[in-house]
Amino acid sequence: MSSLTPDFMLRSLGNVGSTILTLLVAVAVLEVALWLVFSKLLHSRHALVIMLLTPAAIGLAALIVYPLLFEIRLAFSNMSIRRFKNPTYGLAQGWDNLKLIFTEPVLKQVKFFPILGRTFLWTFIQVSFHVTLGLGLALLMNRKIRFRGLFRTLLVFPWAVPQIVAILAWRGEFNFQYGYVNILLRGLGVANPPQWLTEPFWNYVAVNIVNIWLGVPFMMVTLLGGLQSIDSTYYEAAEIDGASPSQRFRAVTLPLLKPVMTPVIILGVIWTFNNFNVPYLINQNELETSDILVTALFRAAFEYNRYGFAAALALVIFAILLGLTILYMRVTDFKPVMKAGLSQAAGERRRVAAKAAGGQR
Amino acid sequence: MKKSISIALCLILLVGALFGQTKLTLWTQEGTAENAFQFVQELAKAYSAANPKVSIEVLNKETEALREDFQTAALAGDAPELLWTVSDHAGPFVAAELIQSVDKLVNLKLYADATAVMLEGKTWGVPISSGNHLMLLYNKDLVKAPPKDTDELVKMAADLNAKGIIPLTFNQTEPFWLVPWLGGYKGRVFASDGVTPTLDTQAMVKTLTLLQDLKFKHKVFPAEANYDTADAIFKEGKAAMIINGDWSLGDYKKVMGDKLGVARIPMIKGGTWPAPYTAGKFFMINADIDKAKLAAVVDFIKFATNKENQLLMFTRLTRLPALKTAAADKTVTSDPITKASAEQMTVGVGMPSVLEMRAVWDAMKPEMLKVLASASASPVDAAKAMQSAAVAGIKALQ
Repeated sequence: MSSLTPDFMLRSLGNVGSTILTLLVAVAVLEVALWLVFSKLLHSRHALVIMLLTPAAIGLAALIVYPLLFEIRLAFSNMSIRRFKNPTYGLAQGWDNLKLIFTEPVLKQVKFFPILGRTFLWTFIQVSFHVTLGLGLALLMNRKIRFRGLFRTLLVFPWAVPQIVAILAWRGEFNFQYGYVNILLRGLGVANPPQWLTEPFWNYVAVNIVNIWLGVPFMMVTLLGGLQSIDSTYYEAAEIDGASPSQRFRAVTLPLLKPVMTPVIILGVIWTFNNFNVPYLINQNELETSDILVTALFRAAFEYNRYGFAAALALVIFAILLGLTILYMRVTDFKPVMKAGLSQAAGERRRVAAKAAGGQR
Repeated sequence: MKKSISIALCLILLVGALFGQTKLTLWTQEGTAENAFQFVQELAKAYSAANPKVSIEVLNKETEALREDFQTAALAGDAPELLWTVSDHAGPFVAAELIQSVDKLVNLKLYADATAVMLEGKTWGVPISSGNHLMLLYNKDLVKAPPKDTDELVKMAADLNAKGIIPLTFNQTEPFWLVPWLGGYKGRVFASDGVTPTLDTQAMVKTLTLLQDLKFKHKVFPAEANYDTADAIFKEGKAAMIINGDWSLGDYKKVMGDKLGVARIPMIKGGTWPAPYTAGKFFMINADIDKAKLAAVVDFIKFATNKENQLLMFTRLTRLPALKTAAADKTVTSDPITKASAEQMTVGVGMPSVLEMRAVWDAMKPEMLKVLASASASPVDAAKAMQSAAVAGIKALQ
């Protein structure tokens, strides 16, 4: 990193600083203008509210609404490297893109549905491991054990490391000759350890291992929070009723964790389905067999320059995720509004309390 | 009053100075590891020192990132004025109309062959260095004389393996390293029209079989090696030989000194000399820049490729100068490493810059990986899969 000189760092800070300064000045000018118009000129009661909300609304419009509209427009175009400056827009182009997604290979040889199947498998493996291991560890950490603080710190460690750094470190560890994983396997007597980065099956396994390692701490911390919010009197009541540990887990822990677990699983599914960093960076050799939908989308857009096609594919992925989320919310009867979530939690508590009280009677 | 006048004057001067200044941005894919990025920065600084009205900001981007970012930046109307990059970027940039022809901007007769960036009858880049080709580099402490053919290589490998030394390493993950062997069997990735892929051929099957045999039967290559691993084990003396490009010469010379030997990639027994792709580095100019900036850009290109700076590049980076007068200079011709590098170039073939090359690279890569990952992978199936993937990829690029 010989380019990281003081001069270079000063210039970088200068660039960042000047951007922040420009934004601050722009916000100040905007606030003054809003104050003059709404407070001084129109004497509006809502002047302060408008002044507080406008910068955020402009920011959201610029960073989310505009790119989203641009992406939708792009999905209805034939923009590619050969039609880079003057693409054609229209419904026919959108329809063509959609047809291509489902009938032609997304990248080289693999078509949409095999990649979709692999993405579902990846999501299923990941969320299952994250929830099972996360819940197991959370249950352990919820007990009064020695060095609990130390264990918690160690278990949260993968979450605390910047993701890119962790992934690149893992990639190095999967090196056939010098990676720690194979050194360990050789030490255990495996004469021919896998070629993690070049063999398609093992590469997919490697991608999964890394993401399990990265994802468990988040699940553990969130579920631990949920576990700690469960009143101990429920367990006491269940114990008096003679409930076994597994009965207590099924009748008390799981129902009371549901309001926490449901949104976390929804988030887990969406994040995993859309996880770009791990499959892209571990799959350094661009094996099509390790691609999931979002990495295929990225390659279609930026390696094959099929901008219209990739934008349409992004809309398809969005529709799949939306459908999945709605389905999951229906199945679990989950209401996403915070108030509803709280009342659901309270309802669960009441049900469990009534059950415990009934047992006592 | 006086104070106000002074402030106004200062402001006028400041605005005048700002308006008189031409600011250029140059993106290069030269990295810091080989000191090449620092060299580009030095050139920019030296030019600005001689031309105070022109300031050049030099930014480094990894090769693929440079291509992607240049396209994205061009879409946003914020692309850099000048690129210092590899020849194969010309294909996508010309297709997207992002760069301009240099035929009328500089006297191309002064430079080495620029066919690598000739598309649609025009030249799209000014040559900076020639070559960018692969060759055999060896550690003289471990190998007395380089192998002349693959049989010799196999014999040598047995001795080296017995001593616990990896005989030969190279980047096994990029098909750029496969192409020389394919050329050794007289295979080409495109038919004579320059755009129809010809990957499912006997030459390709023979190439893949040879690599598979060298790896699994004769244990010539290590089990797995990407660019960084190959580079590291050669520098550390764990590997006796490496196939790498001319861009790495400067660095190896610095690390290994007199221990470094350079030779042609061994001839294929039953074939010919392996034929690496040759191309080089080129300046490419943004299609959408105003006249004043274009004049400054052209002037900088002439400065960066004048004889003095070309020889400086040779001394610092051991790159073959593209300026004919510099390439003919004694400093260059008398250097044994450059001589051997140039010798390898004579059997090389020009790398295609057409857009379709992207699909060919992507088609070759996974199949090459498969064949080099397992002794049981079928080269015949791999060649077939390469062809169908290349055809699909080219269709997708339309």
